[in-house]
Amino acid sequence: MSIKENLYLNFIKDDRYMYLLSGLKNTLLITIVAVVVGILLGFLLAYIRSTHDKTGKLKIPNLIAHLYITVIRGTPMVLQLLIVYFVIFASVNIPKIIVAFIAFGLNSAAYVAEIIRAGIMSIDEGQFEAGASLGFSYTQTMLYFILPQAIKNVLPALGNEMIVLLKETSVAGYIAMDDLTRGADIIRSQTYSAFVPLLMAAAIYLFFVLIFDRLVKKLERNLKSSDH
Amino acid sequence: MTTETTSPLIEVRHLFKEFNNSRHRDLKVLCDINVSFNKGDVAFIVGPSGAGKSTFLRCLNRLEEASSGEILFEGVNILDKNVDIDRHRQKMGMVFQQFNLFPHLSVLSNLTIGPIKLQGLSQEEAEERAMKLLKRVRLEDRARSFPNQLSGGQKQRIAIARSLCMEPDVMLFDEPTSALDPEMVGEVLEVMRELAEDKMTMIVVTHEMAFAREVANRILFMADTNILEENDPENFFEHPQNERLKAFLEKMI
Ligand SMILES: Nc1ncnc2c1ncn2[C@@H]1O[C@H](COP(=O)(O)OP(=O)(O)O)[C@@H](O)[C@H]1O
Ligand SMILES: [Mg+2]
Repeated sequence: MSIKENLYLNFIKDDRYMYLLSGLKNTLLITIVAVVVGILLGFLLAYIRSTHDKTGKLKIPNLIAHLYITVIRGTPMVLQLLIVYFVIFASVNIPKIIVAFIAFGLNSAAYVAEIIRAGIMSIDEGQFEAGASLGFSYTQTMLYFILPQAIKNVLPALGNEMIVLLKETSVAGYIAMDDLTRGADIIRSQTYSAFVPLLMAAAIYLFFVLIFDRLVKKLERNLKSSDH
Repeated sequence: MTTETTSPLIEVRHLFKEFNNSRHRDLKVLCDINVSFNKGDVAFIVGPSGAGKSTFLRCLNRLEEASSGEILFEGVNILDKNVDIDRHRQKMGMVFQQFNLFPHLSVLSNLTIGPIKLQGLSQEEAEERAMKLLKRVRLEDRARSFPNQLSGGQKQRIAIARSLCMEPDVMLFDEPTSALDPEMVGEVLEVMRELAEDKMTMIVVTHEMAFAREVANRILFMADTNILEENDPENFFEHPQNERLKAFLEKMI
């Protein structure tokens, strides 16, 4: 079979490229929603963890947050996805994509939390004291002085987390979610030709990873040039 | 005039502080300190390193939690657990050895963020107040700069202006010139001298003996967890009583 025939068979015939296209759409959607969920929840976890480290308060919430982060980071993403789908939502009928949003978002939160916590802990103690001495409460000090500096410091790491997440979503097929990887695999099973569709999917992942990477690098450069 | 009571601005009673952290157990740093500061006082605290001077100063605005005792600030025992310490801290400015300016904010915002967020001033009101203070520390042309564009001496003058921008009733200084290159010490001391002349209540920890003698109305000698001697500048330097103080002065001068 010539290359031309191969491409025709795998992408054009029966509109098979649609598997890749709709798969890509889901992959990107899951990534973006999971990043947003991850950042929101990750912030909360990071706030709890670093407040405990700094002040000794929030003992119980810290225990829970610590346990959560340990379990999520210590178990495979695929298993977490399967557990959310087959255990937590076993008796509820909700769209698979929502399950994916939740599973990947919960996973991402644990990693984001550790990134932001590291950012907070890297800020000089004198910044907390300066805020406090002016009359700012601990939470206000965090909000106005610590977090803006901490986030700026960890933005590249957060960008990398997004790149990792994009690739991680490729296990969504385990719950029969039609993502980019599964789209390629469906084509393979129909055409009995593995090379072209799988390589194409890989190329698309790589393309987006490189785009994200460039965005992160650009952001980093902008931050450096505006570094005060 | 006749009925006005002259209660001190700050009254410290039986203040104890020990550190109980992983580094040290039962390290007694302040042991039964009793002292008062009046409105308009320019009190300097001197003494050997490790005496507890910083800890004492930081207990006054509760950056360190005292172990026991009372600190009456404007009549309120601020060591009381029910006290809203954040409100009282607005009235107690603090200047640190390491400046601790907010690096992500412009000089102007370093000054205005407190009055805006904590005292409800509008942007314009806060900036007007801030610009007056920047003029006072002779840095009005640096309002739009960022802290890392300033020299150490400039940073510390901005830090002083930032504290003043909250219009505090007392200013606490913890070795404000110790982190500075020698040629920058003068400009910071000059600002502090003017502040004292303007009758700001000041409590200053420093090793600048000549400056203390010139500006203070009282000098306290701290060593070994307590205030061992207190006097007016003249007698403090000319007629020291305590043996530790005599030895200290000999080494310093
Ligand atoms: N956070 C802390 N934990 C344990 N010990 C401390 C802490 N801060 C200060 N100390 C100890 O308390 C003593 C007094 O310190 P400090 O108040 O900084 O003295 P000074 O300012 O007079 O040099 C020192 O022995 C110091 O090691
Ligand atoms: Mg000290």
